[in-house]
Amino acid sequence: MRLRLLRMAALLALGAALGLLWNAASGRGIALSKNVFIKSEDEVIEAKDAKARLEKGALFLDARPIDFYKMEHIPGALPLPEGDFEPAFAKLEAKLRSSFDIVVYCSGWGCEASHIVAAKLRERGIHAAILHEGWPAWTGAGYPTKAGDLP
Amino acid sequence: MDRRGLSDQGRRPAVSLLRRPLLHALLGIALGAVFLYAAYDKILHPADFARIVYHYQLIGPSQHVGPWAPNLLAVTLPWIEVAVGAALMSGLWRREAATLASLLLLVFVAAVSAALVRGIDIENCGCFSVTGEGRAAGFKLILADLSMLGGALILALVTPRPASKAEATRSSEAIA
Repeated sequence: MRLRLLRMAALLALGAALGLLWNAASGRGIALSKNVFIKSEDEVIEAKDAKARLEKGALFLDARPIDFYKMEHIPGALPLPEGDFEPAFAKLEAKLRSSFDIVVYCSGWGCEASHIVAAKLRERGIHAAILHEGWPAWTGAGYPTKAGDLP
Repeated sequence: MDRRGLSDQGRRPAVSLLRRPLLHALLGIALGAVFLYAAYDKILHPADFARIVYHYQLIGPSQHVGPWAPNLLAVTLPWIEVAVGAALMSGLWRREAATLASLLLLVFVAAVSAALVRGIDIENCGCFSVTGEGRAAGFKLILADLSMLGGALILALVTPRPASKAEATRSSEAIA
């Protein structure tokens, strides 16, 4: 019995074709060109815009685990780790409810924490913009960072 | 490795056992069922599966590739699992399906290992359930994948003995 490469290619092609067909026709499909982290209600801003908002006094939230925050964060940002949301939110709630310009960020590509935090805040009636590509976008643009556990 | 026509005389018993058609049928059904089951939740919740593909940070989205590559993978992989699983269960093109299954399992092991090595914490591996908790990507998962890989490799590399004795005699005579 020979191993037939054509049959393997046919199985792969069949699977891929069924997948694309299902994605187009089932009503459950995703937009292939869009990042699935981003929901229609999300406000996503670029690093340049975020920098301008920071200078105008926007409140920045760091959604990464607290150890990352302690290592380095955007100056003035407060920690609101996605994995530890409830207690951190309780501490920040009053401040968040009196801020009208909030930006949340996390580790960038593959990191969903900023999106989850923004959604949790939205459930509580607080709007926060999401920094697109998060930390790597900020540091990649050469914007300032700060080490330690103080904002 | 066409040994279909050769008799089992002089072979080790383990090899003879691995060539039993019944073993191949049962392995194919079991492995195929796992693949079909694995595809089910991903097909119902493609956006959730795409999120998990992003979490691995292997094929994007990143600065350079954008969301196309991971989205395409999330959309097609479950149905490739269906095609492979159905072929394994039915026995049609079983060897080719088993080879694909082995390659897929190797890719899964590599993806989970890469996440572990890079310290990426993947709470839901996206193996079976893509919504809710799921199972974490860790060493146990790698072991489970490797044991399935063992089964898939038997189907891919060992040729089953022809079903009936008469047929076996005929083919060995043909060779002689």
